[in-house]
Amino acid sequence: MATTANVHQTKWWSGGKSPFNMEYGKLMMWYFLMSDAFTFGAFLISYGSIRFSQNFWPDPNVVFNAFPGAGHANLPLAFVSVMTFILIISSVTMVLAVHAGHKGDKQAVVKWLAWTIVGGLAFLSCQAWEWHHLITGEHATLIDGQIKMVGQTTTVNPWGDLASASAVADALKNTSHETLVQLVSSHDHSVSHEQLAGMSQEKLISMVNAADLHIRENGPVAFGGYFYGITGFHGFHVFSGVVINIIMLIMTQKDVFQKRGHYLMIEKAGLYWHFVDLVWVFVFLCFYLI
Amino acid sequence: MSTHFDPTKHISSSAAYPEVSFHHHDTDDAAFKKKVRKTTILLSVITIIELAIGLAIYTIHKGENPNALLVLMFKGAVCILTLAKAYYIVSVFMHLGDEIRNMIMTIVVPLMLFIWFIIAFVADGNSYKNLRNKYDKHFQESTMPADHHKKAEEPKPADAGGKQ
Amino acid sequence: MSEALSVHPEIVTTHDVHHDEHGGGHHKETFISKYIFSMDHKTIGKQFLITGIIWAIVGGLFSVLFRLQLGYPGQSFPILETFFGHWAKGGQIQPEFYYALVTMHGTVLVFFVLTAGLSGTFANILIPLQIGARDMASPMLNMLSYWFFFLASVIMMSSLFIQTGPASGGWTIYPPLSALGQASDGSKLGMDLWLVSMAMFIVSSLLGGLNYISTILNMRTKGMSMTRMPLTIWAMFFTAVLGVLSFPVLLSGAILLLFDRNLGTSFFLSDIVVNGEVLPNEGGSAILFQHLFWFLGHPEVYIILLPAMGMVSEIMSVNSRKPIFGYMAMLGSLFAIAILAFLVWAHHMFVTGLNPFLGSIFVLLTLLIAVPSAIKVFNWLTTLWRGNIRFTPAMLFAIGFVSLFISGGLTGIFLGNSTIDIHLHDTMFVVAHFHIVMGVASFFGMFAGVYHWFPKMFGRYLNNTLGYIHFWVTMVGAYLIFWPMHYEGLAGMPRRYLDKSGWVSFNQFGDLDKMITVVSIIVFAVQLMFVFNFFYSIFKGRKVTTQNPWGANTLEWTTPIRPGHGNWVGEIPEVHRWPYDYGKDGRDFIPQTEPIGANESKH
Repeated sequence: MATTANVHQTKWWSGGKSPFNMEYGKLMMWYFLMSDAFTFGAFLISYGSIRFSQNFWPDPNVVFNAFPGAGHANLPLAFVSVMTFILIISSVTMVLAVHAGHKGDKQAVVKWLAWTIVGGLAFLSCQAWEWHHLITGEHATLIDGQIKMVGQTTTVNPWGDLASASAVADALKNTSHETLVQLVSSHDHSVSHEQLAGMSQEKLISMVNAADLHIRENGPVAFGGYFYGITGFHGFHVFSGVVINIIMLIMTQKDVFQKRGHYLMIEKAGLYWHFVDLVWVFVFLCFYLI
Repeated sequence: MSTHFDPTKHISSSAAYPEVSFHHHDTDDAAFKKKVRKTTILLSVITIIELAIGLAIYTIHKGENPNALLVLMFKGAVCILTLAKAYYIVSVFMHLGDEIRNMIMTIVVPLMLFIWFIIAFVADGNSYKNLRNKYDKHFQESTMPADHHKKAEEPKPADAGGKQ
Repeated sequence: MSEALSVHPEIVTTHDVHHDEHGGGHHKETFISKYIFSMDHKTIGKQFLITGIIWAIVGGLFSVLFRLQLGYPGQSFPILETFFGHWAKGGQIQPEFYYALVTMHGTVLVFFVLTAGLSGTFANILIPLQIGARDMASPMLNMLSYWFFFLASVIMMSSLFIQTGPASGGWTIYPPLSALGQASDGSKLGMDLWLVSMAMFIVSSLLGGLNYISTILNMRTKGMSMTRMPLTIWAMFFTAVLGVLSFPVLLSGAILLLFDRNLGTSFFLSDIVVNGEVLPNEGGSAILFQHLFWFLGHPEVYIILLPAMGMVSEIMSVNSRKPIFGYMAMLGSLFAIAILAFLVWAHHMFVTGLNPFLGSIFVLLTLLIAVPSAIKVFNWLTTLWRGNIRFTPAMLFAIGFVSLFISGGLTGIFLGNSTIDIHLHDTMFVVAHFHIVMGVASFFGMFAGVYHWFPKMFGRYLNNTLGYIHFWVTMVGAYLIFWPMHYEGLAGMPRRYLDKSGWVSFNQFGDLDKMITVVSIIVFAVQLMFVFNFFYSIFKGRKVTTQNPWGANTLEWTTPIRPGHGNWVGEIPEVHRWPYDYGKDGRDFIPQTEPIGANESKH
C-alpha cells in the first residue's frame, strides 16, 4: 500500500489532520474510558485503603464457594471462574464483530454482536444469582453475644474470624430458640424439624455440635459495601454495554452502517465492551483472588 | 437543526472523517483470526493459573501453619498475571497495540498516576490501622484475628500484606 | 501522497459546509435551535458565561450575607428577616443559615462559576476559533455538556429552597457530618441534592473535557502544529486533561457517600455517637473520603487557575506588543503544574491523622510546584519588561492577576509545610491564601478574558470607563478584604466560626472584620456594575468596526466581526507561524496566517 510506505514521512502534528490518525469519536471513547478507569480505580483503591486499615479480612475462598445447583458443596472460586470465562469469550466475539465490521460483512457483524449480547446477559444472570445467594444465605454468626443466621449484606458480614469455643458456648445461651433449631437441623438430620421445634432451649443447646458448625464472628462490614458497590457498578456497566450492543445490532439490521459506508460505531461500542471486560479482570483480582 | 455544522454529515463514504488520512485494516483475515485465537488461549491459561494460585492460597490458609510470606508471594504473582491479562486485552482486543505510538503514550502515561494514587491510599490505610491498634485498644482486641482458633495473648504487630 | 490526500478532504468538506449555510435556504434556524439548544460553540460558550454570571451573583451575595455576620456579630438586620424568614430570625443570621451560606458560597464559586463559567466559557469560545476549526469535534456532546451543567444548576438551586435548606457541611462535605442526616439540617435532603447535582456537574465537565481534548488534538487547521498554538489553548488542554482524570474520583467519593447516607453502608463511618445514639456503622474511614475529595480537589484548583493563566499570557503579549517571554518554558511549566496537581492532594490533610511520613512526601511534592509557578511569574514580568504596554481593562486585569498570583502563591509555601500548617490549618490565613491565589486571581483572569474577547463574542466593546472603575475598585478591594485575614489567621483566628466575639484574644480584630465587611459590600456592588456593563454593552455597546481591534496575531481575529456558525467564510486559513510575532522586523504584529518572508529573522 502506498499509504503505509509514507507513514514515516507524514508530519502528524502539523495540523490539518489527526496526529493519531484516529477519528475524533474513537479518540473521545478512549479518553472517556480513561476517565472511567479512574472512577473504577478510585473505587478499588478505596477498597484497598479500607482493607489495609483492618486487622482482619475475609478469605475470598471461604466467601465465594457456592455453585448453582450444587447445594452446600464447597467449591471455592468455581462459579466466578465461569463468570470470568463468559466475559472473556464475549470479548472475543466482540473482537470478531468489530473485525467483520471492518470488512463490511453485515451478516457476520449481526452474528457476533448477537453472541456478545448473549454473553453479556449470561454474565448478568450469573451476577444476579451470586448476589441473591450471598444476601439470602444463612450463616451461623456470632453477633453481639448471640448466634444469628445472617447473609452477606452491607451491615453484617458472616465471614469474620472463627469464633473461639468458649465464646460460642456463651453465645448459645443467648441465642433464640428458632436459630437453635436451625443450627441443630443443619448437621443432625435424624430428628425432624417439628420435633426440634418442640424441644427445650437446654436440650437444643446440648445437641449443637459447635465444632462442626465453624461459627464465625461478624467480620468487617466494609466487605459487603465494597463488594456490592463495585460489582454493582461493574454490573451497571455490563448492562449499559448490553444496551449499547443491542442498539448497534438494530442499527446494523437496519443497514444504517451499510449506508454510512463504515462500521466505525461498532468499533467504539467494542472498545466500551472490552473495557468492561478489563475492569472485571481487576475486580476479579481484588475481590476473588487476593 | 440541520444547518448546524456537523463534520460527519457532509462526507461521502470514502472519507468518513476528514482528519483521518487512511484506515489501516487488519493485514489479512487468517493472520488476524490466528492472533485472536492465540490471545484467547493465552487469557484462558493465565486465568486458570490465577485460579490455581487462588486455591493454593486457600489450602495454605487451611493448613496448620500458614506461611505469610508464601501467601504474599502468591498474591504478588496473581497481581502480575492480572497486569499481563490487562495488557493483552488492551493491546490486542482493543487494538491499542496497532495505533500510532504517540496515541499509545497518551493512554499509558496518564495511567502512571495510579502508581502514586495506589501507594498513598494504601499506605495511609495501613497507617490508620497501626494508629488505631496503638491508641484504640478496644479496636485492636475486638478485631485482631485469633491465632489458630484461640485468642492470642499478645497480638502480633500487623504486617502490611498478610492479614487474612 | 498521503499527506496531500489527507488534507484535501478537510478543505473540500468545509467548503461544502459553507455553501450549505449561506446557499441552502431550505434549513431555517429557529430561535430554539439558535439560542437554546444551540450546537454552535460560540453560543454554548455564551450560555456558560451567562449562567456563570448568574451563579456568581448568587455566590457573591452569599458571601456578603455571611460577612455581615462576621463583621457585625449579634447585630440585628431586620431586612434579612423580611427576605429569609426563620433563617434570619430577629434579623440575625442563624447558625444553620450561616453554615449553609458558607457552604453554598464555596460550592457555587468553585464549581459553577470558576469551573463551568470560566473554562466552560473560554474553552468553548476560544478553542475552535484559535486553532482554526469550524466547531468542536462533537457539537452535539458539547450542547449536552451545557445542558447537564444547567441540570446540575437547577438541582443545586432547588436545594436552596427546600425546608431543611441546602448542604451546609462546608464545600468539602466531609463525612461524618455530611453523611448523617441527624447531625444537622443541612445534612438532610440538601446534601443528597448536592451530591446528585455534583454528579450531573461531573458528567457535564466530562463531556466538555473530552470534546476540548479531541478538538485540540484532531481539529487544528493546516500548519497549526502544537507548538504554534496560543498558550490559551495549551492551558485549556491541560485543564481538560485535569478534569477528565480527576473528576471521576470525586464521582466515586460522591457515590460512596450517597450509599453511606441512604443504604446503610460504612465506607466513611465508624465509631460514631450522634445525639446520644450509638450508630452501628463500623470499619469506615473519614480520612478516606478526604483523600478521594482532594484527589479531585487539588487538581480542581488548577482547573480553575490554568485557563486564567493561559488567557493572561495571551492578553499580556498582545497588549505589551511583545512576544511572550519563554513560550516553551510557559508550556513546560503548565505541563509540570498539571502533573504535580495530581501528586500533592494530601497537603490539605496534614492535621487529619494522615501518616506524618507520608505527609512529608506530600510536603516535598507540594513545594516543587513553586518552581513552575515561579517560572511563569518571571516570564510574565519579562513579557511586560520594556513592552509598549496598552493599558486596556483586559490588560489591567491581566497584570492584576500576576500581582495576586504572586502574593497568594507565596502564602501557599507557608501552608505547604506540614509543620507550619499545624498552626495555620483552618484559620483565616488559609481563607486569605486560597481566595487570593485561586478565587480572586482566577476571577481576574476571567475578567481579562471577558474584556478582551467581548468584541469577538458580541461584536461590541464593553464600556472602558466602567471597566477601569471595575478594575481599580476590585483590585484595591480584594487586597483590603483578604490581606488582613493573614494577620487574623496568624493570630490563630479560626475560619468557619459563626461568632468569634467570645474570644478575648480575637477582640482586637473586631474593627478589622467590620472594615472587611464594608469593603466586601462595596466590591460586590462594583461587580454588579460590571454585570450591568456586560448586559448593556451586548445591546448598546460601541460597535466593533475592524476585524482585528487589538492588532492580535491569533486566528479568531481573521473571522468576520460577527462570525456565523462555521466561523470562517470560505476556507479556514492556513497557519504559517507561532502566534507571538509582535514587534518583529520593525512590524507591530504579523498574523499567524502570513507566510514566513524570505528575509525574516528568527524569533
